[in-house]
Amino acid sequence: MTIAMLSLVGILIALYLTLYKLGVIGGLTCTVGSCETVNTSRWATFLGLPVAAWGVGAYVALFALSLAGTADRHAGSQTISVLLVAIAAWSVLFSAWLTYLELFVIRAICIWCVASAVLLVAILVVSVMDWRGSRGRGVRGSRAPVDTPPRVQ
Amino acid sequence: MVKPPAKARDPKKPFYVILGVVAVVGIALIAMQARGSGPTPQIVAELPPGDAGKAQPYVYGRPDAPVTISEFADFECPACAQFATLTEPDVRKRLADAGQVSIRFYDFPLDQHRNSVLASLSAACAADQNKFWEMHDRIFAGQDAWATRPGESDGAANRRASRLFAEYAKAIGLDEAAWSTCVEEQRHLERIRANRQLGIQRQVRSTPTFIVGNQMVPGALSYDALKRLVDQAAPRRDTSGGAGPR
Repeated sequence: MTIAMLSLVGILIALYLTLYKLGVIGGLTCTVGSCETVNTSRWATFLGLPVAAWGVGAYVALFALSLAGTADRHAGSQTISVLLVAIAAWSVLFSAWLTYLELFVIRAICIWCVASAVLLVAILVVSVMDWRGSRGRGVRGSRAPVDTPPRVQ
Repeated sequence: MVKPPAKARDPKKPFYVILGVVAVVGIALIAMQARGSGPTPQIVAELPPGDAGKAQPYVYGRPDAPVTISEFADFECPACAQFATLTEPDVRKRLADAGQVSIRFYDFPLDQHRNSVLASLSAACAADQNKFWEMHDRIFAGQDAWATRPGESDGAANRRASRLFAEYAKAIGLDEAAWSTCVEEQRHLERIRANRQLGIQRQVRSTPTFIVGNQMVPGALSYDALKRLVDQAAPRRDTSGGAGPR
């Protein structure tokens, strides 16, 4: 649930930056740093798409997986936990590279990008904890959800 | 026997409700921002036809010089930048400053270049403060930095160019507030349209295109090629009167 909530916030941030990049939003609300300098730099595009659009994709994947994980029939699924860790880890690495570019190449900080980086780290931490928890329970895809209502005879 | 409840209450429901509320509030905030700020006012890239009769070039050198070199150029065209940065300094120094020619610059913004009109407006507004050529040189010299990049949205390209042109305005000592207001109001759009319309009338098909005397030559000419054209035009005392409206 925590991952789903964090991913949803991430989707909104990435969507906001994508719409700016596409020219739908004229200016970024940026109380700290230089969001526009970062988002108009040549590193704001990756493989022909705005970096923020890749972010939307990653967050949507994390959101969908985490939401699926809350469903009773997927509760305790190792596959979902591993996928969450994998996507989160990759996203954190990508985000770390972007943060390096901001600090040492572009020399400007975008507060929305920093917020996204923090969200991704949090998602990674929670997803690793979830993965370890699911391994510890030693059940593959058949764990009864903790909050299943008691059966009534 | 206890009768089971018809339907167990889903304990995750509050969580889904909170997710939904966060999503709706987030999207509403983004929509408000999109509607409130809107995209940066785009400087029209595709100009409607102008009145060629109102064409008014920017002149370098003595207006009564025996030969006139008229250039139709687009600030975002790489060949124009090449001419402006590599060849034009020689032409100014050796021909215009010597009183042999005058150079007339006509805007000819091409539709495919998203920042051309903005560049023309920026230069025109610098002309209000008698610094057209300083701005012209800065804009061409910095073309790599402000020209539209592949995959870049028009809005982003426009914003980046605006910021750089403002830096150029500051660097050449313009009254920034006056210049900025002039650009935002697109005060000289009519002039730019008229200049381009004159080029269209004169069958200009690419940029840069030069008219020297009565010869029209496209391409970024070398100094020697341009000098030959000037020499050919000189004996006739440039009776064509340049490319100006007649």
